[in-house]
Amino acid sequence: MIRDQVWAALSASVLEVFPEFTNLALNPGMSLQDLGANSIDRVEVIMLTLARLNSNIPLTKLAGAKNIADIMDTLCCAESL
Amino acid sequence: MLRRVIVTGMGQLSAVGQGIECLKEALLLGRSCFSKSHQFPELLFPVVAALLSDFQFDLALSLLSGLPSELLLAAKKAGHRAPLTIQATLIAALEAWQKAKLPLRSLEKMRVGLVVAGHNTTRAYQALHTEKPLHYLTPSYALRFQDADQVGTLSEVFNIRDLGFTVGATSASGNVAIMQAFRMIQQNLLDICLVVGTLADLSSLELQGFHSIGALGGRQFANQPDQACRPFDAAREGFIWGQGSGCLVLESELVVKSHGVTALAEIKAVSMALDANRSANPNHEGQMLAMKKALSEARLVPQEIGYVNAHGTSSVLGDQTEIDALQLVFGEAKEVPCVNSTKSIIGHCLWSAGIMEVIATILQMQQGFLHANLNLETPMASICHLLKSMQLRAVQYALSNSFGFGGINTSVVVAHKG
Repeated sequence: MIRDQVWAALSASVLEVFPEFTNLALNPGMSLQDLGANSIDRVEVIMLTLARLNSNIPLTKLAGAKNIADIMDTLCCAESL
Repeated sequence: MLRRVIVTGMGQLSAVGQGIECLKEALLLGRSCFSKSHQFPELLFPVVAALLSDFQFDLALSLLSGLPSELLLAAKKAGHRAPLTIQATLIAALEAWQKAKLPLRSLEKMRVGLVVAGHNTTRAYQALHTEKPLHYLTPSYALRFQDADQVGTLSEVFNIRDLGFTVGATSASGNVAIMQAFRMIQQNLLDICLVVGTLADLSSLELQGFHSIGALGGRQFANQPDQACRPFDAAREGFIWGQGSGCLVLESELVVKSHGVTALAEIKAVSMALDANRSANPNHEGQMLAMKKALSEARLVPQEIGYVNAHGTSSVLGDQTEIDALQLVFGEAKEVPCVNSTKSIIGHCLWSAGIMEVIATILQMQQGFLHANLNLETPMASICHLLKSMQLRAVQYALSNSFGFGGINTSVVVAHKG
């Protein structure tokens, strides 16, 4: 799976949950927590991303992700991709 | 000592438009918005309804005025990606909150509560999610599918921290919500209470159910949808679904006086009588009992009631039963009231009907007119005056009826103020 596709899906999902960040330049170094996401919001973003990518990666694989870059790394390396 | 309960704010969103002024104009001019819906192609019967059209939450928010920006922002955030029922509730509640001047008042020492009318409120939202693969279902669904999400959302947006809950009583839900708020204020448990009716957002399952039980109209007039809803007319054939969310702000008279707020009307009594019958068939004795109890609690006699906002669903049996009940209540009165059904203009708003119709009652009493029963071409025989056209009339006391499946009968007594 091309990294660009993952980035597009993830950033679209962030903006779907947080439309107020439309003009914010998201970068992989940010964490969802830094953006104000609570635990429900974080899972919301990830599940919307998985749906966009048609990925079946278990959520547990993403439990250790500390920021957006970690999420992207995990999704890109996922077997189902 | 029981406190008097005053209406200080109203808000609404329905097929006739957004805002109380829209509803007032629709009532005065007899302007309805029924159409044949194409949203349910899987159904084998025509669906005639008064549905919201082209509703956009952010646009609806922008049309509200006189509200603090932080309140609008909180509502925008809470309504984002929320079911239509939540968004509609927020719009109606924000208008009522503003009309009661609550943003300008000091509420720190006030006991502010919340009652939401409606159950099975997220059926269309749920149906939408069954079309997608389950393993992609997002966590927000766990909150949003529940009726009580209305309570949590309104509590968060308006910072309401006292009593709050939903009430469910099928088509009588609205009046039961008013009853609960009325009693809490009357008994000094609350000072102010937001009473909200949720918009009925049905899926094809509910529509098929209503069709199968014979309750739904719209067959004969499928190609003339504006004629389909005809309460008390000989050609009536069933209820016509309407989407509407209404909100009332009820307050203790003591608070109204100390805050110098304008009283729109007084709720004198709300009563309820069950039929001990879980089925759909109405009962004129239960309906009569509800009306008589309301009159008794309001300390009024039948001839003091100048107007009845009927349940009047345009159903064959339902309308006849209500006519029979009105006969039992007003049969011996020296003067009989005028009767109309707001459902002929906005449709049957189901869980919100009672609240929408009390709003319509208050608007008419304030403005000194009573709206027409649309499509009343061949009126049923009744001792009451079934209005065929709009009339100018001053009304001091009115009854507003709501009767629901499961033998639930309710009646509200409204008094004019001013």
